Amino acid sequence: MTGGRGDPGLLDRMVRGSLGWLDEARGFFRLPPNVTTDADPNLTLKPLGELAELTQLIGVLHPRDEIRQAARGLFAFAWNETRDGELFAELIHGEPFATYPVELYGTFAQAGLRHADADALVQTTTRLRGWRVAREDHTRTLNVLNAERRLGLRQHADFASVLALTGLGRLPEPWTLDRKSVYGVTHDVFHLTDWGRNRQRLSPEFAGYLRLWLPSWLDTWLEEEMWDLVGELLAVTACLPAAPFDPVAWQRLATAQAADGSVPEIGAAPSSGDPAEAFLACYHSTLVTAFAATLARIACDEAEAGPVAGDPALVGGRTPCESENAP
Amino acid sequence: MAEQTQGAVPLSAVIADAATGVALALRGEGGPYALSGILRHNDALTPAAVRVLGADALAPYAMEHRGAPVGPEDEAVVRQALAAYPPGADASEVSRWTYRGLVEASHAFLPAGAQPWPAPPEAATGWVDSTPWPKLSHRVSQLAALALPKLAPGLAEQLTARTDDLSRGFVRAVRRRDWLQAAGLGRWLARLPDVAPTLGLDSGLAFVRQMGGADPRVALHVVAAQRFYGRGW
Repeated sequence: MTGGRGDPGLLDRMVRGSLGWLDEARGFFRLPPNVTTDADPNLTLKPLGELAELTQLIGVLHPRDEIRQAARGLFAFAWNETRDGELFAELIHGEPFATYPVELYGTFAQAGLRHADADALVQTTTRLRGWRVAREDHTRTLNVLNAERRLGLRQHADFASVLALTGLGRLPEPWTLDRKSVYGVTHDVFHLTDWGRNRQRLSPEFAGYLRLWLPSWLDTWLEEEMWDLVGELLAVTACLPAAPFDPVAWQRLATAQAADGSVPEIGAAPSSGDPAEAFLACYHSTLVTAFAATLARIACDEAEAGPVAGDPALVGGRTPCESENAP
Repeated sequence: MAEQTQGAVPLSAVIADAATGVALALRGEGGPYALSGILRHNDALTPAAVRVLGADALAPYAMEHRGAPVGPEDEAVVRQALAAYPPGADASEVSRWTYRGLVEASHAFLPAGAQPWPAPPEAATGWVDSTPWPKLSHRVSQLAALALPKLAPGLAEQLTARTDDLSRGFVRAVRRRDWLQAAGLGRWLARLPDVAPTLGLDSGLAFVRQMGGADPRVALHVVAAQRFYGRGW
């Protein structure tokens, strides 16, 4: 991985292309009437939640105004789909002990978007001892802890203690990481840094580990043409202090992006011509590409101007953090 | 190896058997090592096998307590290989370096004898600084036999500056289940002074031996890393 200032022109084209395709795909992000009953959440809530999480970030942090505006339009669309948060009250009512409605709601809450009934419900459900029972894996728990923070709730476990149990926290031998564990490490970084908003939370030890081994992981997943993982690894790379810029990897990802702005998850986009199939094959990687290119763009600007501790956009997006100074 | 009919055994099998013999000797098993005992002077494939094994054909002689003295037959096997396969004018860097490795090993580990050993041929190192890490790693793994005490000190010094890149190559090779490349790189990393602790080189070498040790050349590299540099479980 070489250093250098990166390629802002390429990165901005990639974000614009991605957001353009996502904008055209709004219809597929729309929630169906049965979203709170028998619809598959992987095809409804998951895509909308990702759209909200990443467009919120781009809408605040991207240095280019027209890109921020485009992202904010998509974020507003996502909030509108939740019927101004009423969806979360319904979801929590239906599944009071599930974490996903709280995690989704937290995405909007960080932007100050709240719903009174949902707030009242989470105040009760997240105080139960039953809420503190471990679910899913440690990486997912970090996301739940972040959602609690975003909602102003008491965190049900100590963030640093949970992080220590994750794939990042344990600093595994880099040659042991398979697809699933690399994916886990990228999300440990996203949760720790609040998706790159608080990159200084990455300890020197973690940063050193990632700086050393990211190039080998990138090489592996570039070869597999797993573009979502490539994008996530590039996003993690952009979270490092004095972030390196890997021109070869970025060029490969840019080449995988189609003329319409979509980025397939693996290999080449499906050629059936079915737009619903294309949406499912591309929405995740396209969002990840916009996200990674935004973080890399910010890193470019930093390399140009020196660290941006006082940058109002970044400070505005910065999360108050209970363990920022933790070792 | 003994009693094999000429032509019936492919070169790869001859090399594999010889690598097994070398690894055995490095482990201190199988009695005193004699090169001419594992690769016979009058076997038609011996010069090619010695050329492929390179310095590793003489690796057991680099041990402090090697047992049997080097005899004229052993020396003849080496001279024969050096004479048969000198690198041509258009030889690759790998070919030049492996040949040089065998010459350097002869100087370092064999007695001078009546006839002097040829001077080591020139081999460039410019590529070490300029080659991207995946290609560099592949090339260096092909030079694993040079990761022996006293050999190629200049190359070792230059590779020290690329330790992190070679470590990335080790990760890449294990992920690709390319055990031979991983073992060769692990062996070089065992020689280099500043390998990052997070790589887990010792456990990595043990893992590569478990996964790929059925290939005698993989086993040989892992054993050499342990014998000469104390790395690996």
